[in-house]
Amino acid sequence: MKKIKKENVFPFLKEMGKTQDVYCPQWLNDKDFLFLPLGDGKFNGDIGKTAVSAKSLLFPQTEEIISFGKEIITKNTDSRKTLAFGIRPCDMKAIQFTDRFMTREGITDPHYQSKRKGMTTIVVACNEPPSDTCFCIDAGGMPYLNDGYDVQLFDAGDYYIAVSGSKEGEEILGDRNFEQVDGDEKERLEEIKKRSLQSQEKKPGTKKAIEALRDEKTDGKFWERLAGRCINCGGCVYVCPTCTCFNVYDLPSQDGYMRYRSWDACLHAGFTKETSGHNPRPTQGSRLARRHEHKLKFDIINYGESGCVGCGRCSDACPVGLGAIEIIEELNNL
Amino acid sequence: MTNSIQEMEDAEVFLVIGSNTTEQHPLIATRMINAVREKNAKLIVADPRETKIAKLATLHISHNIGSDVALLNGLMHIIIKEGWEASEYIKTRTENFEKLKEVVEKYTPERVFEITGVDESLLRSAAEIYAKNKKSMILYAMGITQHVAGTDNVKSCANLAMLTGHVGYPSTGVNPLRGQVNVQGACDMGALPNVYSGYQSVADPKIKEVFEQAWGVDGLSDKAGLTLTDMMDAGERGDIKALYIMGENPVMSDPDSKHAKRALRNLDFLVVQDIFLTETAKLANVVLPASSFAEKMGTYTNTERRVQLSRKAIPIMEGTMPDWKIICEVSSRAGYPMNYNSPADILDEINKVTPSYRGITFDRLKDSWGIPWPCPHESHEGTPFLHKDKFARGLGAFDAREYIPPPEVPDTEFPFYLITGRVGFQFHTGTMTRKVSILEREEPQAVLEMNPGDARRLKLVNGSKVAIESRRGELYLPVRITQDIPESVVFSTFHYSDNNINELTINAVDPVAKIPEFSCAVSIRRV
Repeated sequence: MKKIKKENVFPFLKEMGKTQDVYCPQWLNDKDFLFLPLGDGKFNGDIGKTAVSAKSLLFPQTEEIISFGKEIITKNTDSRKTLAFGIRPCDMKAIQFTDRFMTREGITDPHYQSKRKGMTTIVVACNEPPSDTCFCIDAGGMPYLNDGYDVQLFDAGDYYIAVSGSKEGEEILGDRNFEQVDGDEKERLEEIKKRSLQSQEKKPGTKKAIEALRDEKTDGKFWERLAGRCINCGGCVYVCPTCTCFNVYDLPSQDGYMRYRSWDACLHAGFTKETSGHNPRPTQGSRLARRHEHKLKFDIINYGESGCVGCGRCSDACPVGLGAIEIIEELNNL
Repeated sequence: MTNSIQEMEDAEVFLVIGSNTTEQHPLIATRMINAVREKNAKLIVADPRETKIAKLATLHISHNIGSDVALLNGLMHIIIKEGWEASEYIKTRTENFEKLKEVVEKYTPERVFEITGVDESLLRSAAEIYAKNKKSMILYAMGITQHVAGTDNVKSCANLAMLTGHVGYPSTGVNPLRGQVNVQGACDMGALPNVYSGYQSVADPKIKEVFEQAWGVDGLSDKAGLTLTDMMDAGERGDIKALYIMGENPVMSDPDSKHAKRALRNLDFLVVQDIFLTETAKLANVVLPASSFAEKMGTYTNTERRVQLSRKAIPIMEGTMPDWKIICEVSSRAGYPMNYNSPADILDEINKVTPSYRGITFDRLKDSWGIPWPCPHESHEGTPFLHKDKFARGLGAFDAREYIPPPEVPDTEFPFYLITGRVGFQFHTGTMTRKVSILEREEPQAVLEMNPGDARRLKLVNGSKVAIESRRGELYLPVRITQDIPESVVFSTFHYSDNNINELTINAVDPVAKIPEFSCAVSIRRV
């Protein structure tokens, strides 16, 4: 355990930036709060909650996957060294979830995996929920992590208490910006953790919603009623830290073709439409059901845990109130 | 729009007429959806089709195509009969009310039913909800304007709003939803035949002088030019020899596209400036490759009159230039040097010669979410809603209009009514969206929407191919059978160059605005 003064965070990131690409939450034009390469926005120490999670560092909105002309070259599998600073515990949990998904059944996604291998993670635990749509505790998580990170920071006023969770993390704490701690810090850390567990007010009732889906309490009417107001923008999917569906397409390049993949959304009809024209999810209601059953029912069957980490971004993004929070609340009313 | 988009959140009633809002202005639609859901606002949708927004409506009025004036006059008839009009407002803020009263007197519910097919009880409910609430907002789009009676339709909307005192306050008003990102800005900048920027008439000698001074020239014309549809007619007649078309694809978007193609081919010289080689650009003698929105900086004026700055996001493609630069180069080579260095320079000139844009300077836009005009000086915040305290012209003038039937209605030979529009996943003539694979996946081809009853009679199933014929052309399209469209009406889109529905549509135009009708009579047979 060490500590770092808040005023030393930026110098630390600059130092790290000498040997690797550093990403952290920054303000773009003072309007958008995003995970960006250090220097592409304004870093003012805010960790907050970025509009899009750190998922885009490992699974970009659009990426080149192969080029083909005379020969086929797989792209984007270089293991660039990156440091992701300021990941929130819910987002780190989502990365752990995605790690498992991207290596399931012996199939490894090389584009994701190469970036993941090169990435060091510094999590900043939440003393208080960074936004009023945060419901990680209700969703079965915690505002801090017990494992799965390289470094975890806890806000202790004008400094962070730093805990390492891996060999890489231990190395990072060796940087000169980190200072030794005295005996009191251990107690302080426990106090911070205890308080953070009591600080969250949003409790939509995830457990009961999961049970409602397990017990098949919903019908088509339930979903169609809600989907009546869905404008099919896909925003909930794009901001979700565990949504990783993509579409593949080719575009001509200088000397052949380039194959790209881009984020896709299960709320679009074409996502499940088959070549014959038949669509197993033919209505917006059936697609909305698919999305939420996937997270709250089938992920539990397949992986033993829900695919919703309670970050609340879908509820932030949805213009018509159809995020996870609202769906969970509706499921609680059944 | 007379009002701002955000004001919709507090509206009590929405009267949506001729707008497929959920598909075409989805984020504006979300304001209505949320107002209905969270604040119990009432939503009245008048559209022959049961669009998605119609499904969410308190009342859906499926009136006959082209019967909007009769419908609106019918609403006003009931409002006056019941004494729901805003007497004080009419007295103090409007004129010509007696004439309106005289005209709408004739639109009894019985007569309106005959023309529109809408029964009295529905009409009465709509009139009561709209008139009796304070914050009632009219929203319309091309379903109102694209008719030979387009001007009459718009005036009737304005009559209805003034009759009930629903203009000049927040969260009410008459709100046309513009169909393209910067069509408001293009009109504001005088891309119209009869005005300079800010709707300043070319016929006004004082205004003419202002522009002559600003541009250092003499003898600017004081005569209005031709409208787009006029130009096409003149091209076919040979009265116009050359056209310079920018960012427009009339081969696809004009009605009766064979006529449009004949007109363009008949020119001595055609220049097309666009970001892709459109169907229209293929007919050009010279194509000027322009840069896309992402490669340049500039301003857009959106449907609520808000001028917003858009920044360059990606490097400019080799061999292209932003439109403003191309125009400067062409003009300079033609003997009138234009020496603007940046879009900021141009906005500076706009500020000088356009009273409504005077305070919308580059420096202010840089650090804001935009400013809605009119904005007469630099410390003015802009104007979220228009006609506060008094109308721009002084008194609001009622201009009563009579119903005129559409130019081409179904008959025994062509028994179906074809209406055209857009879908949410494609935009306009598809110049951009048809190049995006995920959008193509969602809506890959033109289809003909048809009522199940008609499909049964013609022995069609979903996906059956039909020949669809009008007096101007013929197309083969697969049918999509849906309850959302009334019998004897069919719907298709003009996104697809391989099946351009505008080969069929009619080039009959509104006598004032010269906007075309598009909707026409067709026959359909199984193939």
